[in-house]
Order: sequence, then structure tokens, then C-alpha cells
Amino acid sequence: MGDKFVRAIGSDEIAPGGMKAVEIEGHEMVICNCGGTYYAIERRCGHMNAPLEMGTLDGKFATCAMHCAQFDVTTGQALSGPVPADPGHESLPPRMAAYLQYVDMLMQHVRTESIRTYETKVEAGWVLVAP
Amino acid sequence: MDMESRKKALRYFYDKVVGPLGFKFTPDTELADFLLEQEVMLEDKHGVPFCPCQPVRHDRARDMQIVCPCIPFHRQHFDAIKRCWCGLFVHQDVTDPDSLPQLPPKDVGLG
Repeated sequence: MGDKFVRAIGSDEIAPGGMKAVEIEGHEMVICNCGGTYYAIERRCGHMNAPLEMGTLDGKFATCAMHCAQFDVTTGQALSGPVPADPGHESLPPRMAAYLQYVDMLMQHVRTESIRTYETKVEAGWVLVAP
Repeated sequence: MDMESRKKALRYFYDKVVGPLGFKFTPDTELADFLLEQEVMLEDKHGVPFCPCQPVRHDRARDMQIVCPCIPFHRQHFDAIKRCWCGLFVHQDVTDPDSLPQLPPKDVGLG
């Protein structure tokens, strides 16, 4: 085992298509099991910092649970930004509507950035990560 | 956002949806590439990959019916013309997409 790699999780701890958050040497990261190949990404969404392990992993694409921003977990590349919220069918009280309009205006200036990835390897039943 | 990466991601997601509906990507790869590119640009603007051939009317209920792949919302129509409106998807048995005319619903006995 190379010096820079440390044990993150057992390789049987995540089913294919699953994600698990870990903290290693101060780095918050998410280990992703893409059909038996493991990738490690920064835990925080590149849009608004939500924890990505609470979203979904489909193939090599992670979708954030908060606003549905998507990332390629093999590269960390941001693939899409937030999906607009569903305002529903009921009209909101005017003050609430004005507040949400203000939040929407602020959100338009939030960029979705790519996220950091970490090198991984599997050895003796462990997923090792280089933080 | 990187155009090529997003196009690949959309292909991946769409493929899983349209196959069980009896459709596939058009064999006209140049057209498919062009339409996906338009969708990436629409997604960049609206946050949603709308059909490039339909106007966004800012009426959420109606606009959700043109989010690609919009096949489930227009199933009878698309089954009748063996393609979706913009031609990104065609019936799985189609090999010559150019032979499929873009007919409005009323021309195939709908609406």
C-alpha cells in the first residue's frame, strides 16, 4: 500500500449504485460504488454545499438531493445546475412570494462548480483513498 | 458546463427511459447530436432540457409536458408518426428516419 492511501471503508459496505460519506484527515468525501468500481468525490455539492451522499448515483452520475445539480463522479465535473423549484398550484401569501422571488434572484447568481475527486484503490477488502 | 459531457449524460439518462417505451435514438447521428446540443443550451437557460422544437410558454403544467423525453405525454401522437416531434427518438423498428414526416396530431386523427 502506498503511503498516501488510507483505509476509507470496507469494499462490502456499499452496494453497487450506493454512496457513503466519510471524513478522512479532515476531508469530507463520498465514496461511490459505480458497478464495482469505486470513486471518491468531495462531499459538498458544487452548487450550494448540500451533502451529495443524500442524493442519487446512477451510473457515473451523482445527482444532488437539494436542487438536482449533477456531477460526473469519475472526474468531478459539474454537468448541470439546479432544476427550478415547483411553485405548486396554490398562491402564496404576498410576503412569502416576495421573499421567494428575492431568493430566486440571489440563486441566479450562484454558479455550479465542479467538485474535487480523490484517488482510490481497492486492496484486501478495503477501499483506500488518497486524501 | 461542458457541452460534450452534458450531451453524453443526457444520452445515458434518456436511453434508459425511451427503450422501455419502444423508442430509440434516431439513427441520424448528426441530427441527434444537433438536437442534444440545443437541449443542453435550453437546460443552461431554463434549468430543464426542454424539447428544442416546442416553445416554452412559462406555464409550468404545460411546459412539463415538453421536457425531453416527452414521449409519455404525447404517446398516441408519437406512436402514430413513429417518431417524437423533433425526431430525436424514433420507434425501435425505424431504420430510415428521413422517411417519417412530422405530422401534427390532427393529421393522424388525433385532437
